[in-house]
Amino acid sequence: MTRLTFSTLTAAAIAGTASLAAADIPSHPRNINFPEVEFEPPAATDYRTELNGIPVYLAPSSELPLVNISFTFRAGGHLDPSDKVGLSSLTGQLMQTGGTESLSPEQLDEELAFLAADVSVGIGGSIGTANLNTLTDNLDESFALFMDMVRSPGFDEARFEVLKNQTIESMRQRNDDGLQVLLREWDFLLYGVDSPDARRATLASVESITIDDMRAFHARTIQPGNMIIAVAGDFEPREMLGRLSSALEGWDRGSRMAKPAENTHEFEPGVYYIKKEQAQGQVLIGQRGLTRDDPDAVPVQVMNDILGGSGFTSRITNRVRTDEGLAYTAGSVFRNRVDTRGDFISYYFSKVPTVALAGRTVIEEIDRIRDQAVQTDELETVKGNIIETFPRRFESKAGILSTFVTDEWTGRDPDHWNTFRDRVGGVSPEDVQRVAREYLDPDNMAMLIVGPWDDIAVGNTASEPDPNRVVTMGDIKGGQAKEIPMRDPLTLELPEQN
Amino acid sequence: MVRRRVTTALIGTTAVAISAGSASAQQIEAEEFVLDNGMTFILVPRTEQPLNVAAGWLARVGSANEPAGMSGVTHFLEHMMFKGSDAIGTTDAAGDQAFRDRLEELREDLFAKIYEVQYPRMRDGEIADPWDPANDTPEIREIRAEMTRIQDDQKSVTIGNEFDKIYTGEGASGMNAQTFYDWTRYFINVPANKLELWAWLESDRLFDPSLREFDAEKDVVVEERRQRYSQSPTGELDEQFYSMLWISSPYNWPVIGWPSDLQAYTEEATREYFETYYQPRNLVGVIVGDFDVDEAKTLVTSYFGRLQDPGEPIPPVTTIEMDRLGTMVLEGSCDCQPQASVAYQGVPYGHADAAALDVVADLMNGRTGRMYKSMIEGSELASSATAVNYTLKYAGAFNIDAQVKGNATPKQLLAALESELERLRTEPVAERELQKVKNQTRADSVRDLQNNMGMLQQILAVEAYGSWQDINDYADKIDAVTPDDIMRVANEYLTDGGAIALYTRNESAGSGGAMTLDDALAGVPVEMQDMLRMQVEQQTATLELASAEELEEALTQIQAQSAMVPENMQPLMAYITQQIQARLAELNATGEAPASDEATDDTTGGEG
Repeated sequence: MTRLTFSTLTAAAIAGTASLAAADIPSHPRNINFPEVEFEPPAATDYRTELNGIPVYLAPSSELPLVNISFTFRAGGHLDPSDKVGLSSLTGQLMQTGGTESLSPEQLDEELAFLAADVSVGIGGSIGTANLNTLTDNLDESFALFMDMVRSPGFDEARFEVLKNQTIESMRQRNDDGLQVLLREWDFLLYGVDSPDARRATLASVESITIDDMRAFHARTIQPGNMIIAVAGDFEPREMLGRLSSALEGWDRGSRMAKPAENTHEFEPGVYYIKKEQAQGQVLIGQRGLTRDDPDAVPVQVMNDILGGSGFTSRITNRVRTDEGLAYTAGSVFRNRVDTRGDFISYYFSKVPTVALAGRTVIEEIDRIRDQAVQTDELETVKGNIIETFPRRFESKAGILSTFVTDEWTGRDPDHWNTFRDRVGGVSPEDVQRVAREYLDPDNMAMLIVGPWDDIAVGNTASEPDPNRVVTMGDIKGGQAKEIPMRDPLTLELPEQN
Repeated sequence: MVRRRVTTALIGTTAVAISAGSASAQQIEAEEFVLDNGMTFILVPRTEQPLNVAAGWLARVGSANEPAGMSGVTHFLEHMMFKGSDAIGTTDAAGDQAFRDRLEELREDLFAKIYEVQYPRMRDGEIADPWDPANDTPEIREIRAEMTRIQDDQKSVTIGNEFDKIYTGEGASGMNAQTFYDWTRYFINVPANKLELWAWLESDRLFDPSLREFDAEKDVVVEERRQRYSQSPTGELDEQFYSMLWISSPYNWPVIGWPSDLQAYTEEATREYFETYYQPRNLVGVIVGDFDVDEAKTLVTSYFGRLQDPGEPIPPVTTIEMDRLGTMVLEGSCDCQPQASVAYQGVPYGHADAAALDVVADLMNGRTGRMYKSMIEGSELASSATAVNYTLKYAGAFNIDAQVKGNATPKQLLAALESELERLRTEPVAERELQKVKNQTRADSVRDLQNNMGMLQQILAVEAYGSWQDINDYADKIDAVTPDDIMRVANEYLTDGGAIALYTRNESAGSGGAMTLDDALAGVPVEMQDMLRMQVEQQTATLELASAEELEEALTQIQAQSAMVPENMQPLMAYITQQIQARLAELNATGEAPASDEATDDTTGGEG
């Protein structure tokens, strides 16, 4: 098939368009009239109740014979002692794999597997979760095992050895993937090596953790007074409350743990690189950002969606990827945090010779959104997206509960979701430019690069036919760059400098 | 420990099927119909997620369909399908076409020069890569410069990523597409009131896609290849492993394509590929979520009904996989955890033995699976292990991967895997163990129905090989598998010697970008470099022969000397130290397993 078929198709296209017009098919999607849909976000109070003062969210639904029970706790890496980093995370993992006081790990695993119940425990940055997903028919058996695991974990020694070994094996691998190195060093740079927001477990910290440490951490954090319960799926609410109430009997109440502290680390702006032999340079450019509840968070979200946060629609992706073919992955994000200012990151991975050219392009786009007012159509597209995708957050019962539980833990303004779309709709081109100038400060950003630096530094001088596109790292940010040596993967210490 | 002997009363120990009633009643209820042009549609209305519709379509074409020299074109075409049409993505369709025609001429010119001039230069050993712009002749460079100028001019009539922008502005989310050996699929979530938008945009791009921004998108795919394969610790080795394990089957080239082929597509050949394989008879549309079936039928009939059926035959895949006649082994090293993989020739989708092989994989996996018990907890050789039964359209593979723990070697892992397989071949599986797998399959088949997009993906996946009804029948097929079936398939399929991959860690990797001798010599005056290089090479060569004690002693000496060596020689001392430490680690790793676990932690490099 060659041109002949092509022109036949083109002819068919014209004929087709004509017949479509007859069938009232609009000539462009902008001319489609969509039916109106009203959507009001659900209210937390419609789902929330309390059991002896413990918040419980219930969302019954009978479509599938499944029940999902989730306990969340204020427990996370922020509570790890500085010489035992990794304690909270290991505690969660061993709760899941280490059996109970009355059941060996093998027995517990076998019983849960046989019932086809999914049980998981994960303790992350500041919230820990224990989750049970089970068929309705097995709810009583599965839930009893789950409660046994949550309240009386066995912390089996042999399983602890397995877990520790797996943790150490994965530590050995943490310089293997450049991206992992990049994200680690970025956190170290922006938040400080020792801060709870950045620190990582090391061989020494993991080896110092004992089962007694874990028991103590469990006793302190996994308690009703430090817990929110959420249940979604196929159950009868009154019956479920009764089941939960019996399950909580005789459990020491305990109290709420502390929230993570504010991070006041000051980072040193500049260009940094870590040498690693690989096919691409992996790059982050950015700075500290804002908190989730900052009044500017909404206009900043809109601004960033125009800049690099909405995939192909956004400027960085459009220029670096679509126009110039310099990267497969390129964009930007504001990682807002609840308890401390988060960060702004623009990112791209490009082949070695074009790291500098892609970097110049990203920096141009950061400058442009500061210097020039955004186009109305761009602004309307990203605002439309945020407003129109808003209902998705609440489209499933699990989504609704997860939103409300997070909101309660993080003290979000109860009116937040009711006013959210109006606040997005109200963002003007002036607002976008104001927040771009306030939160994007190219002179005070850090640029971090992982890759074969010596080749990255000379740029595309050998390969680029267009003189206007020839860029070396000497052209970026004054050409000054500082090496961060590769850390030892087990100790995370920098090699000794001679 | 006493507590291990206590069993709580609440747990039954007999092997019974779980909840045969409610769980097995959960089925996908779909309406299937075929348009006059041959395109199939599968509609699944459901209200569990109001406000949302997941919609997508499948083209029954994958990398297995590609002709020689065009590897990766299926995936490249998938990228190009987002560039729009005459109506989307440009302000001036005729002008855009003129730019594209001119670019295609230059491209053909460029390729002719590369084949005539650069390929011979490569064969002569003068250059490594005929496509690399750094090796361009002045004439070739001028063609590229001219193409860049035209591409820059073309932007004046291009609306970049308009296809995405329209969806984005209307609240669609999760837009993506995937290409595999046998299929290409495109999918997105749209608000429930905007199904017509999906019908408009998808039928428009199927009707007459414009393959604009062709060269920049090639660069994007080349970059994707770098990111997925070259940047991944095991990516490039895995690629060659898969290429080895498929002998004659067209699965033996990577879905993303070989690097040289990625450069060589023309717009015309890509277009021709589209016209051959994207005929409506080769397409399946799927809609899952909150919509009215009759309205949706009317909508897709008028929008997708406009696609013409050219009635051209869709070329069959001819080549049948050959039986493996002997064991094949790839030994490689990477910046990765030492690991072993073994792949046996399995069965294609729909084969009578597929379910039994799926059960074999399930028996091996998970924390109650056999590999965890014997290799992770028991012998402590592995830190992880996974088995997968791949059933593709034309052939299958049964694959097991395991990563070592501590000082174990990939070959030890392989031996442990073999003894697990031998158990499967010779001992019937216990009734309760088998029932556990069956219970889990049934529960998972319910969990898989939880969200629209998940269900859509399942239907698209299965439709590439068979029919959506297979999803409803799957748990019953697994239920029918007997202990005898498992022994039989283990003996029939998991015995061909296998294709084996054994990866060890690069010597330099563990210490975090270890230095090379070149690095170490960089600071030394040039006139001294050759002499020092020779000396150091001689010294490090003797390390092979030294005992651990001798190496320890050498380390102590070097440390003592370091203080007295001038600064520009320090890197050299560090290099020698590094080599000695690496050798020490090697000795620790290959020696007998140390009596004390503590002894494994003193390596500095982590090569252990």
